[in-house]
Amino acid sequence: MTARERILAAIRDSLGPRRAAPQAVAAEAAALLENPQATRPRLAAPDLAEAFALKATALGTTIDHVPDMAGVPAALRRYLDAHGLPPALALQPAAELARLDWDGIATRPTLAPDEPVGLGLAVWGIAETGSLVIHSGPDNPILLAFLPLHHVMVLRRDHLLAHLEGYAAAMQGAAQPRNAILITGPSGTTDIEGSYVRGAHGPGFLHVILVGP
Amino acid sequence: MDAPQLAFKERAAAALADGALKIAIERTTGNAERKRAAAVAAFPEFEAARARGKAIKDHVIAHLDHYLEMFERNATAAGAQVHWAADDAEARAIVTRICLDAKARIVTRSKSMLGEEIGLPHALADAGIERVETDLAEHIIQLAGERPSHIVWPAMHRTREQVAQLFMSGHDPAPAADDPATMVQSARRILRAKFLGADVGISGANFLVADTGATCTVTNEGNAELTTTPPRIHIVTAGIEKLVPSTAHAFALLRLLVRSATGGEMTQYTTFHHGPKRAGDADGPEEKHIVLVDNGRTRMLGDEFRAMLRCIRCGACMNHCVVYRQIGGHAYGGTYPGPMGAVLTPVLDGLAQSRDLAHACTMNGRCAEVCPVGIPLPTLLRAWRRRSWRERLEPGSVRAGLGLWAMVARRPRLYRLASRIGVRALRLMGRRGWVRSLPLAKGWTAYRDMPRPSGRTFMEQYRAEQAGRRTPE
Repeated sequence: MTARERILAAIRDSLGPRRAAPQAVAAEAAALLENPQATRPRLAAPDLAEAFALKATALGTTIDHVPDMAGVPAALRRYLDAHGLPPALALQPAAELARLDWDGIATRPTLAPDEPVGLGLAVWGIAETGSLVIHSGPDNPILLAFLPLHHVMVLRRDHLLAHLEGYAAAMQGAAQPRNAILITGPSGTTDIEGSYVRGAHGPGFLHVILVGP
Repeated sequence: MDAPQLAFKERAAAALADGALKIAIERTTGNAERKRAAAVAAFPEFEAARARGKAIKDHVIAHLDHYLEMFERNATAAGAQVHWAADDAEARAIVTRICLDAKARIVTRSKSMLGEEIGLPHALADAGIERVETDLAEHIIQLAGERPSHIVWPAMHRTREQVAQLFMSGHDPAPAADDPATMVQSARRILRAKFLGADVGISGANFLVADTGATCTVTNEGNAELTTTPPRIHIVTAGIEKLVPSTAHAFALLRLLVRSATGGEMTQYTTFHHGPKRAGDADGPEEKHIVLVDNGRTRMLGDEFRAMLRCIRCGACMNHCVVYRQIGGHAYGGTYPGPMGAVLTPVLDGLAQSRDLAHACTMNGRCAEVCPVGIPLPTLLRAWRRRSWRERLEPGSVRAGLGLWAMVARRPRLYRLASRIGVRALRLMGRRGWVRSLPLAKGWTAYRDMPRPSGRTFMEQYRAEQAGRRTPE
């Protein structure tokens, strides 16, 4: 017998012969998710953008607001200036970003091992936790979110979801990317005597440019 | 294993004598206890969420074969290769073979307690492969040549000064100062080159999502993604109890896991890994392997330890355990310390080697109170005590002592006579309200004082109260 057969046989031995049909198991699993508001935190504010901002800033994420995508390069310039950084960055190779006017900012599609600044698009934002969702793909290298010291994310206001379940629902039946990552604050560690230090392996700074009226 | 095989009592005695260890443990567990309490207070729905979390785990355990097959089907459809290992040796062999077939020289690892459980660090060393631990705490204990002492903070037994010594000799260039921020920067610099130069990245999984075939990791440092993205091969080792039906079920458990572990609401990086790199993807591994490990779990399914399969490895039980907070994790001698470790270690290492662990418990019940999935840990520890008695593993002195007690306890007159003599004798031995040393129980009083008894037994006082209908002062 293979290990697979041995393990499955041992499980069936322990669980006994009278087993539910797959449809019954699925119904039971669905019932376990009913009435989700009874077991999840309430939002920090009634407005999704405000709730998102409250949670995100509590974790050290900074937020800037612009009315539309055209305002993103100027917001980025404000951030670079505030941190004394040169006008250069690794830009996610996404069409939505490439078509913006980056005049005066040197953008590269490649990543250096010690990249200072990277800018990418969030697929979703989650108000409950202040999280940003990214998906890997041809136009999104995952390392863009990890190698730079400063990670800047563009999030459209109409891509805000209230709760974590909203993301699960949005992806139900959709094609899954290799990596789907919920990013909640800059990289950090408490491994030395519980002292919180930012920039453990990933970015030490996370900045969100929230786009929308 | 690498630690000398001392008996539990000797390890515990050595830990109790280590003042620096006591300080290090208190800093981390005390902090964790306060932060968890604040996180639970800020989430009024916690009790209801806990009931749901427990129900989700029980549902998966009751249909474990169904969900394993569903996970295998969906993970395979996503392009991963699924392997099955009945025990630790099979799991080690599978991982080592994948690494050797790939001619791997450098393997990066993102912290996984299952990897420790199956002895992966030694297996890779034996195969001549350079293993690089990337979690900061695992990096510290790799430099120290130690095993984890906590399942969430593996290096919590090390003070900042001790970490500085390890980094000064282990990092080239050495860190410029010994404050935590400078030392973290030093580790970041050293490990970044390893991340990008590794041939294989190995991670664990906090959840296995049956309906998508995803493996889910949670970290605060970002080391899991840096471990699993650049190398050509990503290997996941995971226990079969990690299954959840869907992503939404994983979120329900995640809310409990993070609050119970660190007092946070969400880890910085919560990642669902579906198979290898897709056609055209900008980065990612070309192969993804998932090793599903049994190693005693199907045995637990069939006996009184089934509830332990609910465990989501948050570490709250050890953070709140009076025994763990005195002796730390290494004294337990197994992969998993604290209350959950005292239940799991006899499953993994055999009861004969680990029967002391079930006795190193005060039964105060704190672990069960804070467990986010309602595992009755004290009940399970009592089950190990009963089994140890039944299998005649208790030493002769304990059996004789308990036999004598049982004989007396079944004879009420004799019992009352013995207790009348006992409390009076103990009262004579006490000073200022405490008995500092007990004959025949010096091992117990070496670390504790016993309250000096009142001089009369409960029955004597009860009778006097019934006779006089007055409250004794």
